[in-house]
Amino acid sequence: MNRRVAICGGGIFRPDLWHGENAEEGVAIAYKGLLKQCPNLRADDIDGLVMSYFSDHLNQQLCMGWIIQDYLGLHAKPGYRVESGGATSLDALINAYYLIQSGFYDVILIPGWEYMCEVDVASTNEMIASAADTDWDFPVGGYYNAYYASLEVRHMQLYGETCEDLGRIAVKNHNNSTHIPWSQWLSQHGPEPITLEDYWKSRMVSWPYRVLNNAVMSEGACCILMAAEEKVKKFTDTPMWITGVGIGTDSMRPGDRTANFVYEGFKDEAAIYPDFVKSIKTPYPEMANFASLHIAAKRAYAQAGITNPMKEVDLMELFTPYDGVELCLYEDTGLCGRGEGKNVVREGTAEYGGECPVNLSGGLTATGHPVGATSLYYTTFLHWQLTGKVKDFCGPDGLQVDDAKRAVITGHGGTGCQGAVVVYEGD
Amino acid sequence: MEEKEGLKEQTLRVRPIKRGAEKKYRDYPTVLDKSTEAHEFWEPIVHQGLWDIKGHKIVKGPWGGGSVEDAKKRPPREFMVIDRASFALYSHSYGLVSPFFRGLLEGKLMGTKCPECGTVYCPPRAHCWNPECRVADCYDNWMNLPLTGIIHTFTVQCLAAAPFEHMLPFSMGYVQVDGADTTLPTLLHMRPREIFIGKKVKFEFVPEEKRKGDLMDVYAVPAILDEKAPEWACLQKDAEQMKVLEDSIKATQEFIKKRYGIDNSPEERGW
Ligand SMILES: [Zn+2]
Repeated sequence: MNRRVAICGGGIFRPDLWHGENAEEGVAIAYKGLLKQCPNLRADDIDGLVMSYFSDHLNQQLCMGWIIQDYLGLHAKPGYRVESGGATSLDALINAYYLIQSGFYDVILIPGWEYMCEVDVASTNEMIASAADTDWDFPVGGYYNAYYASLEVRHMQLYGETCEDLGRIAVKNHNNSTHIPWSQWLSQHGPEPITLEDYWKSRMVSWPYRVLNNAVMSEGACCILMAAEEKVKKFTDTPMWITGVGIGTDSMRPGDRTANFVYEGFKDEAAIYPDFVKSIKTPYPEMANFASLHIAAKRAYAQAGITNPMKEVDLMELFTPYDGVELCLYEDTGLCGRGEGKNVVREGTAEYGGECPVNLSGGLTATGHPVGATSLYYTTFLHWQLTGKVKDFCGPDGLQVDDAKRAVITGHGGTGCQGAVVVYEGD
Repeated sequence: MEEKEGLKEQTLRVRPIKRGAEKKYRDYPTVLDKSTEAHEFWEPIVHQGLWDIKGHKIVKGPWGGGSVEDAKKRPPREFMVIDRASFALYSHSYGLVSPFFRGLLEGKLMGTKCPECGTVYCPPRAHCWNPECRVADCYDNWMNLPLTGIIHTFTVQCLAAAPFEHMLPFSMGYVQVDGADTTLPTLLHMRPREIFIGKKVKFEFVPEEKRKGDLMDVYAVPAILDEKAPEWACLQKDAEQMKVLEDSIKATQEFIKKRYGIDNSPEERGW
């Protein structure tokens, strides 16, 4: 069986630092938003659910998915959870795609949520860091910001981007976020744009990352409806089609990527080492790039028939918990060559109006990052982009890309331990 | 008027409990036991603290769906927020790479070597992950590694997760131990001015009585005294960045002094 699969709609319960409503109520509000977009959707139409949430210990609740199915009155349906760290929400969506594309189910609901602020921030960071290897990585600093900062330092030393490049990405994404009416940044800080000056003033977290370079902690939810092409018409006149999917993985510990045999086949793409840096056993991707994302992109592009993403993709939503990840992903998703990410920043290619705008949604560092909902939010945003509806949802200041036809989204877990890429196309 | 409900002074009332023998190890000899005291101390706390509601508050906040503007336009609602504590004591086996951690207690760094492809792992692997080696056994092939290495990459932390916050500011990185092919997460006891990728370091251990058998027992110091960072070093080549970082470090030291009463200034902690 080989049939087309579409995103029919997405309902949002906005991300914020705190919500009075609990998770099931938040998901219900998001589901209600979806029902409004798809008024013909009846519970009978839904064949199954794929639940998307990352953490059990942030809320001291196992099997939260059962609460959600029950709360929505969908507890007779088949349903299960998909979890893969930061890639959870995009992997959930890809799993729903597998189920529909294979012919097993026709219509799937994906509820996604995360409540990350029930414990204090330092403890949330501790609990998230337990997604790193707790025998080896966790005991040394126990902090994803630090792991990612050290990955970025390696990339910076090999390829020469500067702190200012990271600052420019932060400014771009925060200012994009002010155009999103449900943005967490907007809720917390208001609509004033920020400048590089503000960036330099923001607090250092883990060099070279400052507060404005890092993903926010969020609570929020999103529900997405996916359907096989035969069923799409009942729910929407403006579907967004999934034309390519890819998942990749890499070593649990980033430190092991210096002898990373499964990526030996990528030797031709090996980093060009400056002569002052000791060469290592397997030079690709080592700790500078994200091979899981690179291989996921290759798989998704092969399915979608993309050979030159810069020319053939109109916009991207890259999963960037830290701004250096965005710079590296310009390279790993093929917008530019290895080590050329800094040029994408400096030439404004990823800005609104550039050749391939990236994170017009504002992304994880500004608009929000309730892990299980994250990629569902940004999928919903791309749905509006590819159906020309950004201004309908975001108002006259919405950053609509004219005639956008094709978009790419990535998901990203651990220190690049898990990577997911999906290609979307308009009708 | 803000109501302060449920904020009575609290003490942790710990009822001592009688520990039985640990059934799971019944058939296996305990060769060495340095955890009895930990269990006696922690288990009463665990049994007392779990799921106990310590207090609550009523918060008046925005609610409902829609945009930020929609939520802020509605009259706020009152939500009851409870504080519920949870602890646990995990007894976790280090598995076939236990010799590495016992080595730390003795002030040694050990790696494993694959008998098939010759890759040297530190962190050690009990089985080779090279697909060509078909899960070759490395667990009887231990090597004592030299206490020297090279910084592969690093960061300087001004913020950390809960268990490490009191140590701030500090620097961590990944160090390739000489002779190993992989890199070891390591605390870097050196001033940020001196840290660069490619720097030669020596490993040192915390005093024997303070070792616990994890990577916090070991840290790296410069192998060459007063070595200047080369001009290509990404942190130091931008003098302004360096200054901003040093100011942030100072502010972090002050924050820790205020919060924990600990002086982490270089004069006090010796690096
Ligand atoms: Zn081997």
